[in-house]
Amino acid sequence: MSDHDHGLGTPPTAAVLEALARPEWRDDGPDKVTGRTRFAADRTLPGTLWAAFLGSRVPHGRIRSIETSRARAIPGVRAILSGADIGGVRFGRRLLDRPVLAWDRVLFVGDRIAAVAADTPEAADAAVAAIEVDLEELEPLLDVEAALRDDAPILHPEADGYVYLAGTRPAVPHPNVQGRLLRRRGEDDLEAVFARAAHVFEHSFTTPAQHHGYIEPHATLVWIDDEGLVHVVTTNKAPFSLRNQMATSLGLQPPSIEVDAGAIGGDFGGKGYTIDEYPCYFLARATGRPVRAVTSYADELAAVNVRHAARMRLRTAVDAEGRLLAHEADLLFDGGAYASAKPLPHLALAGGVATLAAYRIPNVRIDARTIYTNSVPGGHMRSPGEVQALFAGESHLDAIARALGEDPLAFRLRNAVREGDVGATGEQFREARGVEVLEGVRAALDWDRPRRAGCGRGVAMSVRHVGAGVMKLALRLSADGRVDVLTGLADQGGGQSSVIRRVLAAAAAIDESRIRVVHRTTADAPVDPGIGGSRVTHIGSRAAEILGERLTDWVEERLPRALPDVPHGARLEGDALVDPATGTVLLTFEELARRLVPPDEPVQILAEFDAGTHSPDEPGDNDFAACGVEVSVDSETGTVTILDAVLVADVGTIINPVAHAGQLDGGFAFGVGAALMEGLVVEDGVVVGRSLGDVLFPAIRDVPRLRQVLLRTTVGPGAYGAKMAGELSNAPVAPAIANAVADAVGARLFDLPLTPERVLRAIRARAAGPAGERPR
Amino acid sequence: MIEAADDPVGSVRIRLEVNGSIRDLVTTPMRRLLDVLRQDLGLTGTKESCAVGVCGACSVLLDGELTSACLLPIALADGRSVTTIEGLTGPDGGLTALQEAFIREGGLQCGACTPGQIVAATALIRERPDPTEAEIRDWMAGNLCRCTGYSGIVRAIGSAATGSSAAPGIA
Repeated sequence: MSDHDHGLGTPPTAAVLEALARPEWRDDGPDKVTGRTRFAADRTLPGTLWAAFLGSRVPHGRIRSIETSRARAIPGVRAILSGADIGGVRFGRRLLDRPVLAWDRVLFVGDRIAAVAADTPEAADAAVAAIEVDLEELEPLLDVEAALRDDAPILHPEADGYVYLAGTRPAVPHPNVQGRLLRRRGEDDLEAVFARAAHVFEHSFTTPAQHHGYIEPHATLVWIDDEGLVHVVTTNKAPFSLRNQMATSLGLQPPSIEVDAGAIGGDFGGKGYTIDEYPCYFLARATGRPVRAVTSYADELAAVNVRHAARMRLRTAVDAEGRLLAHEADLLFDGGAYASAKPLPHLALAGGVATLAAYRIPNVRIDARTIYTNSVPGGHMRSPGEVQALFAGESHLDAIARALGEDPLAFRLRNAVREGDVGATGEQFREARGVEVLEGVRAALDWDRPRRAGCGRGVAMSVRHVGAGVMKLALRLSADGRVDVLTGLADQGGGQSSVIRRVLAAAAAIDESRIRVVHRTTADAPVDPGIGGSRVTHIGSRAAEILGERLTDWVEERLPRALPDVPHGARLEGDALVDPATGTVLLTFEELARRLVPPDEPVQILAEFDAGTHSPDEPGDNDFAACGVEVSVDSETGTVTILDAVLVADVGTIINPVAHAGQLDGGFAFGVGAALMEGLVVEDGVVVGRSLGDVLFPAIRDVPRLRQVLLRTTVGPGAYGAKMAGELSNAPVAPAIANAVADAVGARLFDLPLTPERVLRAIRARAAGPAGERPR
Repeated sequence: MIEAADDPVGSVRIRLEVNGSIRDLVTTPMRRLLDVLRQDLGLTGTKESCAVGVCGACSVLLDGELTSACLLPIALADGRSVTTIEGLTGPDGGLTALQEAFIREGGLQCGACTPGQIVAATALIRERPDPTEAEIRDWMAGNLCRCTGYSGIVRAIGSAATGSSAAPGIA
């Protein structure tokens, strides 16, 4: 179909629902539990060299000279390249502003200066250590507010000359702004609304840079074959996009690059952006050998792309009846030295405006900007922007309710969007289920029951649009009845191949076990937009459904000529050709395939589903979710313990029950980490603690069981009314925990993570001022 | 472990039993067991992630003891037996009950931590065939997983031990 389809999926029949309710058996499971799955770092070729990189040790500097003679003398070193050797080459997902290797200035600690290829990783590391760089240190710009001053140094004076993929870069209000999202609704003169409101509240919040914490670090293997074709094995989850980005940066044609991204060992947004493919290409060209790079965790934490640290100021006006009148938010996201990791046209964070997206507020001004600084570049991480904005918005709302002497849940219920309402950012909802998810938390947590001393309950609500885009799949039916689905979609663990198999099986009424999802490279897979933005279940299931319909049509069209003895109206049912009049099986699917498909030439069927991009002028498909937690706070140590946690989520038809539960559990663990322990410490532009021994992520004892309460609907854009799960549960967790801590100890924390030190400080500062005031 | 005259300078001869087979190697003594497994023996099921012994992705059994292969110089493995994920198979060469339970119960998503989780959980079940949830969470504390939120892992280990399933189908 060529037109964009913003419609709903086909409603499921009872039989389809019954089939989809059975726990799925992941087809990627057996290879993963036996260690047979080959990730990028597991692939090798004879003669492969190891790459290593020299990164800047200062946040801002000018390169005077690079001396490599000592490094070149190390045995086993095959090539050393600097920025001058490869010319000024920049790369990026949308804006090509990041140098492959810096040639004149370095803009953050870790900015790459030189690349080495050697016979062994040890020789490559030794060579990197032996390269001498003479740098003139420049004053670093490390503060997002300082970066916006009129007299701030401009970090990218040559920005006008940067390549921007697909269109024209939107104008920015200051040269140090990477991108901006501005949402305005209601009266032009917001100040007048604030002036006449019964109550006005203002709070500011911060959240830190974070790393995704995937277990598989970035890795790549690059070689150039005898015909000059560039082969790239990579951990990038959007292989076609990477191919096109590489083609632009390297001055090649896209078909001359083959990108192979199969199994990806954890993504969470961080694998949309990969950086080693570019220098490895130049090293492979210089040596004539395959070159492999595996990013060390030290570089993962400091030099690739991290969640944007945020500084957020929120102001809200409330009328005498406790209704939200006006909301103003100014969110500054630290984009670091380069905008190169951001894929969206505005170069901002789409979720950055989601402070109070699930509430009705007539007058709104939300300004979310990403800012250049001399820090590690910011990229996408699970619910980008939303995690930061929602922590601020839901903490702010909670503080307002408490200041007004109201129950925070009742205050939210009064202001939550109802059917027909427009959310704070102007979003229209196909189904507005905010009240339902909040009531769900009230029931599940027994909200009104008295609190024990030192314990508290908190709630937070989120709403997120189901992702969209284009998905193409190719089906190959063989004469032996095998059905292969060819896709360029990588597997980052979301269970997408089970989605495709189960929906195709349901749509064509064939057995799932005969369907194999086959990963192909960019050389011969249908073009694919890559994983991200919680879109795969939506568009992948619809494409699989179309494949199923086309397969059914193809069979039925051929029957009269190919099998004239088959009764009229015969159709596929229960993995066989069935006479609908009698219900008898006429042919098994194998027999049918043998008689319809030439033995030496499988039949190919293509399907494309294009959901386009959502227009704000029409109701969108969203998932509402509310997280409720009960915590205890140790008033002597400041330690927060989660006693109970519930997620009430508005979900569509579930295609993979096990994986769906796993996505919500995994998102919850992300939220627990963000709330209590995660956060890169960046001092003077240096990420402090560059190892997983220093940076905390939740381990198995840190994540309590999550109770999941699923509010069903079959009103969803995916096949049979499917929606999404990947970014449904993580954002509301941290504000719910922060709100529970405020409830428990009467002191509010405005900064993530809620470390014991900060909690203790907040408890001690309580005497100095009423809860809700930021301690200074 | 001996140094032989005709071997490269600084190298030693190492004999290991890996997944039941004797392997003789000539290598430098401070190379990590992890690198020898992955690069020299092609056993890439053992993963490298943190490289500092905190994530558990490189878990192997050394003489049956749970060990991080990223921390062990190969010289210290000389004369010992190493079991990697490739060496864990069911009685018929298929999946072990634990491996099957990881798939059924949602104990895996991306699969990068999974070999390490399976190796660690195998060691747990050998030590304690019917562990409580607290024992599972205690033992598995050294194996990070970023995908599952650990619920599926707890369920998988518990159900492999008892043979029952608690997979989240839809009632």
